[in-house]
Amino acid sequence: MELTVNKPLAGTFGWLQVGGKRIDLQEEIHRQSCVLSPGETRTLLLEDQGASEYEITLGEGARLNLVQLRGASGKSLSYNNVRVTCADRAFFGWYRIVTGGSETYDNCSVTLEGRESTFEANVCYRLAGSEKYDLNCEAIHEGKRTQSAISASGVLSDKAFKLMRGTIDFRTGCSGSVGNESEDVLLLSEEVRNQSVPVILCSEEDVVGNHGASVGRPDEGLLFYMETRGIDEETACEMLAQAKLDSVIGRIPDPLIRENVREKVRENIREKTPEHGREKTPELDRDTAFQAAPEGE
Amino acid sequence: MAQDLLKAEHLAASVEDAEILRDVSLRIGRGETHVIMGPNGAGKSTLAGVLMGNPAYTVTGGSALWEGEDLLAMSPSERAKKGLFLSFQNPVEVPGISLENFVRSALSQKTGKPVRIWSFRKEVKAALETLDMDESYAERDLNVGFSGGEKKKAEILQLLLLKPALAILDETDSGLDVDAVRTVSKGIEAFQADKSASLLIITHNAAILSALKVDAVHILAGGKIVAEGGPELIEKITKEGFAAYEEDTQ
Amino acid sequence: MKENKTYVEEGDRSFYDFRYDDKDSYKVASGLTPDIIRQISREKKDPDWMLEFRLRSLDIFTKIAMPDWGPSIEGLNMDNIVTYVRPNTERMHTDWNDVPEDIKNTFERLGIPQSERESLAGVGAQYDSELVYHNVRKEVAEQGVIYTDIESALRGEYADMIRSHFMKLVPPEDHKFAALHGAVWSGGSFVYVPPGADVEIPLQSYFRLNAPGAGQFEHTLIIVDKGARLHFIEGCSAPKYNVANLHAGCVELFVGENATLRYSTIENWSKNMYNLNTKRAKVEKGGKIEWVSGSFGSHVSYLYPMSILAGKGARCEFTGVTFAGAGQNLDTGCKVVHNAPETSSYVNTRSISKSGGISTFRSAVVVGSKAHGSKSSVSCESLMLDSESRSDTIPAMDIRTNKADVGHEAKIGRISDEAVFYLMSRGLSEEEAKALIVSGFAENVSKELPLEYAVEMNNLIRIEMKGAIG
Repeated sequence: MELTVNKPLAGTFGWLQVGGKRIDLQEEIHRQSCVLSPGETRTLLLEDQGASEYEITLGEGARLNLVQLRGASGKSLSYNNVRVTCADRAFFGWYRIVTGGSETYDNCSVTLEGRESTFEANVCYRLAGSEKYDLNCEAIHEGKRTQSAISASGVLSDKAFKLMRGTIDFRTGCSGSVGNESEDVLLLSEEVRNQSVPVILCSEEDVVGNHGASVGRPDEGLLFYMETRGIDEETACEMLAQAKLDSVIGRIPDPLIRENVREKVRENIREKTPEHGREKTPELDRDTAFQAAPEGE
Repeated sequence: MAQDLLKAEHLAASVEDAEILRDVSLRIGRGETHVIMGPNGAGKSTLAGVLMGNPAYTVTGGSALWEGEDLLAMSPSERAKKGLFLSFQNPVEVPGISLENFVRSALSQKTGKPVRIWSFRKEVKAALETLDMDESYAERDLNVGFSGGEKKKAEILQLLLLKPALAILDETDSGLDVDAVRTVSKGIEAFQADKSASLLIITHNAAILSALKVDAVHILAGGKIVAEGGPELIEKITKEGFAAYEEDTQ
Repeated sequence: MKENKTYVEEGDRSFYDFRYDDKDSYKVASGLTPDIIRQISREKKDPDWMLEFRLRSLDIFTKIAMPDWGPSIEGLNMDNIVTYVRPNTERMHTDWNDVPEDIKNTFERLGIPQSERESLAGVGAQYDSELVYHNVRKEVAEQGVIYTDIESALRGEYADMIRSHFMKLVPPEDHKFAALHGAVWSGGSFVYVPPGADVEIPLQSYFRLNAPGAGQFEHTLIIVDKGARLHFIEGCSAPKYNVANLHAGCVELFVGENATLRYSTIENWSKNMYNLNTKRAKVEKGGKIEWVSGSFGSHVSYLYPMSILAGKGARCEFTGVTFAGAGQNLDTGCKVVHNAPETSSYVNTRSISKSGGISTFRSAVVVGSKAHGSKSSVSCESLMLDSESRSDTIPAMDIRTNKADVGHEAKIGRISDEAVFYLMSRGLSEEEAKALIVSGFAENVSKELPLEYAVEMNNLIRIEMKGAIG
């Protein structure tokens, strides 16, 4: 089945080819809806299933933390579409960790209908080989004093491709709202391709919107500093990549799920890293170091 | 005589086509503490950068050997692995990596082995105590949000944990208040406790040197070593300043 | 997005009257045909290659679709495009009384004398501006600089140079209005600055644009040869008043090795205008293009000057301000393509939306795989003056090498009440306070302009801000 996915709220120059993407799905879309009653709090951990659509409704004051993992061991194409509506003071936290997979299409569109509702997106990816990641993330501010924070960071190596469209849409009437978007991409190979389209749409005067992005190699001063302490460039980049994943994982509020995710991500990375690469960076793995030094010293 | 740890001869270097370092020769043996003093703009930091391999500087002449090997041909990380350390004047922030993890990675890179975590933690704790630093610094992202003084202390902390053969301290005392200078000085003394540890202290202020054993003093002005001597030179500079040497180079 | 068609200012009605003047000798019932193109070409005494070029462009024009991503241009009647192409210039609003009130008032507020107002509005005699133009030309000619109208250059000494550059940067295939331009272009300037020449006085095209028939589909071709410098100023801050409401000009700038070109525009088309202009610069090794762009007029604008950094170390600086008031949908920004090592681009823009106006900042930065060691920094700030207005920021980055640093910053917000209060506490009225704050906000552009233009731009802001408070 062919369908167009990840079409952003506002298009731009056609030659950039950053509008919606046509994909060919080989399987049924797994559809699920989820309603949280007023005041309910939940953290959910989902792993990509191939093609999924989630319709999420959060009642007054409800809080949902959705943790989604995508690794190289999953299906070659993953299509994931999350649509969320937030009532007054509801909170939606999206923790999206992509450590591999040949093609990943993510759409996360959150409508902040209710007053003082909040959307927080923490996206992190680590892509290598010829892996492709295409993301469309939208925060639609309708209610008064709503807040959104979209933060994405990641590392691309080999011939990896990533496209991120992030949109903060301030609709008329959403006075007192604040939207922030930040992106930080490390490029570790000459053949990677990174596309970023950070959009702010605004038809309300009383709002504050910010966007910042930085794309490129790790800062030279930082690399030199690390080198003077004996950490070569390759290891330094690896450490910085791991730090990005750690920082998103560290923000997952539920400690059990957080550790579970840490474990899974570690496995995913280990599966991906070639043998020689693993030997070069043993110290990256906290527990390896931990196990190598049994207690009792 | 035992082989020198570092032997630099007639070093010259430039930054963006401006010649900063004209002629510097230095020999530092194991366990020795050398001091480089000189007025602002003399080329002191350039010398430190050149020895550590900062790509901002271009070596235009001379040589530098590390235990007989060509130091200038090595990458900064190779120099670090050999045992050279530079304490930065303005260390960069390392977001996402805690001070402890950073140093542990550096150590395991140096030794090629994983670091034994419990004994390492103990060492970190002891070093933090020496430097009057709160234990929480170990968990904080390295240098992120640190004040100037905290950054300097974090550099000395790394010095104590990495235990290099030769540490270059580039103006580690600048911008610090009296108490902080005393603390940093305590850290340096702790490093000197290892009799084979060598130091190259770059400063224009004698305060930090008062408690330290100094073997040799070199005065750098206009990119050249213009005078050399023992600890007595420090006193002379404190009294008379650099004026006499600056005239020499003009 | 919004229905732009509904935004028609009261003054606009009178324009229709001009357009359907019975005495218009070139009135054609509908669309463009090859015959019309041949006729235009014959009258202009085009060389053969130009006729062929026009016909090919027409063919492309009929085949390309309208852009589907920007502001609506439904209000533009494409079937009647031929009436825009052939206005009978002799009869263009020859009567000052026909000039809409808002434009007259603007002249008044800008403090422009009556005689000049008539000239600026295109209704007066041309001799004033022609005279100035000729004087400028004489001065720069002594440096070997060629500054002439492009049509006579096409038949003169520089014919070959024009042929080898004309619409090579902006080919008619680029988009629908580039194709239209290729088919019907008319008038414009040609500037050639020989190697090493440093032109001190800015050349100003507005004198040329007032020439009969120019200003609609004008073509500007500037070649700055190795090591030379030029500042070219397009337009003027008084409203440009035209019968027809489509402007599809084209600007092609060739910046040679180590040459510098500054191209400044303060655009204030009348508020019925569809401004679908295409501007592009190609910069060779060590060269630099500096765009200074103020967009105040027009009903709808699509304007994204593009810089192609083709040689090692080529640089681009883009400084822009856009002010969208009632009935305006101004979609402006820039495009930069880094195609060589160590190139750099620096983009700094401000936009202001007021009284229902829509301003969109749209950009594209492409860093190709050959652009090792390149840097790009884009920063845009938007100011919303009320909640009827709209302000969108749509930047895009496409990076194909890791050996580059690309940064982007965008901010959107309102005038701080505290700042207004502070200024009012020092004796300014609320209106003055806000106008002052907006002028300060637009300072990125005004400080880059020659003094007289900066003053006029600030006057324009003050005029736009008038009546902002009920």
